[in-house]
Amino acid sequence: MQGIEIQFPGVKALDGVDFTLRRGEVHALLGENGAGKSTLIKCLTGVNKMDAGKIVLEGKEIRPTDPKNAMDLGISTVFQEINLCDNLSVAENIFIGRQPMRRGQINWKEINRRSQELLERFHIHIDVTRPLAQYSTAIQQMVSIARAVDVDAKVLILDEPTSSLDNEEVQRLFAVMRDLKKQGMGIIFITHFLDQVFEMSDRLTVLRNGHLVGVYNASEITKLELVSSMIGKDLDEIFDLKRASIKKDAPVALEADHIGAPGKVEDISFTQQKGELLGFAGLLGSGRTETAEMIFGVTRMQDGTLKIDGHTVKINEPMDAIHHKIAFCPEDRKRDGIIGDLTIRENIALALQARRGMLRPMSRKEQDDLSNKYIKMLSIATPDAEKKIRELSGGNQQKVILARWMATEPNLLILDEPTRGIDVGAKAEIQRLMLQMCEDGMSIIFISSELDEIIRCSNRIIVMCDGKKAGELNGEGCTQADIMRMIAGEKDGETA
Amino acid sequence: MDNRKQNKLVNFITNPKYLMVLATIGIFLVIYIAGIIMYGDKGFATLRTFMMLFVDNAYIGISAVGMTMVLITGGIDLSVAAVASLTGMFIAYGTTVLNIHPLICMAFAILVGVTLGLAMGAMVTYLKIPPFVATLTGMFLARGVCSLISRDSISIDNELIDKMAGWKMYFMTFSDGEWVKVKPVSYINLNVVLFIGMIIIGTIILQKTRFGRNVYAVGGNEQSARLMGLPVDRTKMIVYGFNGFCSALAGIAYALYVKSGWNLALQGGELDVISAAVIGGVLLSGGVGYMIGTFFGVLLKAVIPSLITFNGTLSSWWGKIITGALVLLFVALQQLVMSGRLFKKKKPSASHQKE
Repeated sequence: MQGIEIQFPGVKALDGVDFTLRRGEVHALLGENGAGKSTLIKCLTGVNKMDAGKIVLEGKEIRPTDPKNAMDLGISTVFQEINLCDNLSVAENIFIGRQPMRRGQINWKEINRRSQELLERFHIHIDVTRPLAQYSTAIQQMVSIARAVDVDAKVLILDEPTSSLDNEEVQRLFAVMRDLKKQGMGIIFITHFLDQVFEMSDRLTVLRNGHLVGVYNASEITKLELVSSMIGKDLDEIFDLKRASIKKDAPVALEADHIGAPGKVEDISFTQQKGELLGFAGLLGSGRTETAEMIFGVTRMQDGTLKIDGHTVKINEPMDAIHHKIAFCPEDRKRDGIIGDLTIRENIALALQARRGMLRPMSRKEQDDLSNKYIKMLSIATPDAEKKIRELSGGNQQKVILARWMATEPNLLILDEPTRGIDVGAKAEIQRLMLQMCEDGMSIIFISSELDEIIRCSNRIIVMCDGKKAGELNGEGCTQADIMRMIAGEKDGETA
Repeated sequence: MDNRKQNKLVNFITNPKYLMVLATIGIFLVIYIAGIIMYGDKGFATLRTFMMLFVDNAYIGISAVGMTMVLITGGIDLSVAAVASLTGMFIAYGTTVLNIHPLICMAFAILVGVTLGLAMGAMVTYLKIPPFVATLTGMFLARGVCSLISRDSISIDNELIDKMAGWKMYFMTFSDGEWVKVKPVSYINLNVVLFIGMIIIGTIILQKTRFGRNVYAVGGNEQSARLMGLPVDRTKMIVYGFNGFCSALAGIAYALYVKSGWNLALQGGELDVISAAVIGGVLLSGGVGYMIGTFFGVLLKAVIPSLITFNGTLSSWWGKIITGALVLLFVALQQLVMSGRLFKKKKPSASHQKE
């Protein structure tokens, strides 16, 4: 690919970016949110049209018109969001559109057999005839990768393929990637896990704000250099985070006494001081999110009592929680967070308006002031507040949601995976914002799968396991191993 | 070996893909057997009663084949009954008033049905008009044209139509060294052949062709289907065109059944067709459904009025009430299966931890 240029009204999403992929190499594509990685991929796969520039594949110029066309040309893609049909069986998801036929009919036996074999390469042993919806996100992700690698492609694009995989699964994926590399396939690898970049890739291309920053050999660049080239800021700024300081006599803001919702989480007790950042760690499905949802009234709390500022409160629905000055940023921002067709301004004003009630509408001026304030404060990358939120990158969407709840000036802010799927720079910014808010007297419950960021930010950490509280750790001086031991300890106790 | 067979069976039954269909078949059998126990002495248990379920409902079944496909893509078609009624009017007016050969009338009706189907498909696919609205306009158009042709009921007076409507294949039994008709006389007619033929064709299309599988993919997640490189637009067009064909074919069957054309015929029939498909386990939100389920949905919907007739004292409106209750039951069941309360998503195993 040479000189790809693409323009969106207002912001130049890609400006004269060159990108070359050799046969048999893994080429990492790096950059912050909104740097233009996704846009580049969308040009390659024909989802977006290019304004200028050309794509050359094996000496021939190509112009992919849509994903099918790109696939026919030999470009196979695993998109960041899982793009499969979960009503179809696992096997069918791998083969749909290119099913083996026998005597004019789909050969189901062959489909099921070959899928089984294919997934065994990834050490996945499941019933491939069952609907995809029955399996976990990790397995779904592996299935979408299996689909992409089974196509006889020249170029394989993997956009954040490891975001919901565990270590072992990542290693299996890497083994398959190495195989494909040997066969001469060129792989474009997008990830925000820098360790994985160094483990797998031969060369790296870094984008920033739609511009090409540089192309490096993976063996010749250090992690720190890479990060600073990605965000173009001083490194000290990113890694020097100070935990929120809580005054010794700070009052207890939230007290949970044996709260639970049978079948989801049980018997959770903790206290949180004003201005404290409380981290929730645990595996997926351990009850972290469920606890948060219970405090916010999404899930009905059936046992125990909840005290805010020393008073027992009853929270039956989110509106009650909002009135008690609790705010909640859900995990799945696409589904539960953003309202894609509304503008940034409308998305920000939403929660505040809901609390004020229908009869006291916010004037346009108030809304404008509000949104402009937060766009500036959180440095949301947008030409103005009237852009539809769906056109923003993931990190910027997350910031808008954050702004929505900050606007209600809550006493307790619950953030469920606020940094998921966004890159180092935006992550650091969000972490810094959280700590700043704690410093200003807000209490924050912070849920994350990434242990190092939990440890880096939290004053105290609640470790969850199997719908129960496994234990509590001090943020200061705690290590990832401590948390994992606590999760595992509970497991052992159960099986023994 | 026995154990493995048993596992396979358990697997089959608990697979939510098949659960709805199995529920439909199960409820049909329960009601049918209950009917035999209650009214067996009055003749409910006879082959004739069973076959009349087919004869009296074949036109609904034919239309339901096309509807099933539309519903699986996540769409809906409200025009089917109006198109069928228009078809009947074409045949009645064409043969009886204009003296055109009935086969030409039928071919013309099918052409109109397919064209209208494709037109509505284009509205849905390319203009992004919600299927409910697009097919509502199609319904008004077809009803309107039908009333333009004639506002009176026209009875069909044509030799070939009589012959087609009168053709019967009797069930025979071998007794005393010769073939005799089963008593009481039971038969299938052309409509039943069309109905069963369309169910078989529909099954083959849905299960054995790439097009059929694309139908499921489109209904499951249209965006994903597009990104997987499937021909989403073409699939939707063909589905609506095929449904137009089924509507016209159902209209032909209905014309053969009542031997007349009337502009107000089959009022509300589209809802009968949709409810038959839903009772058969087709998910209104798309992505799930089987032809065999629809087949039993039609039978289940047919057996209720039949039972009421045999009872003799109940008001026939009970049929509507029970049908309503069944639709409610199935929609609720679907919600339960889909929301995963019956079959919880497998939790990620303990090894799924992030560092």
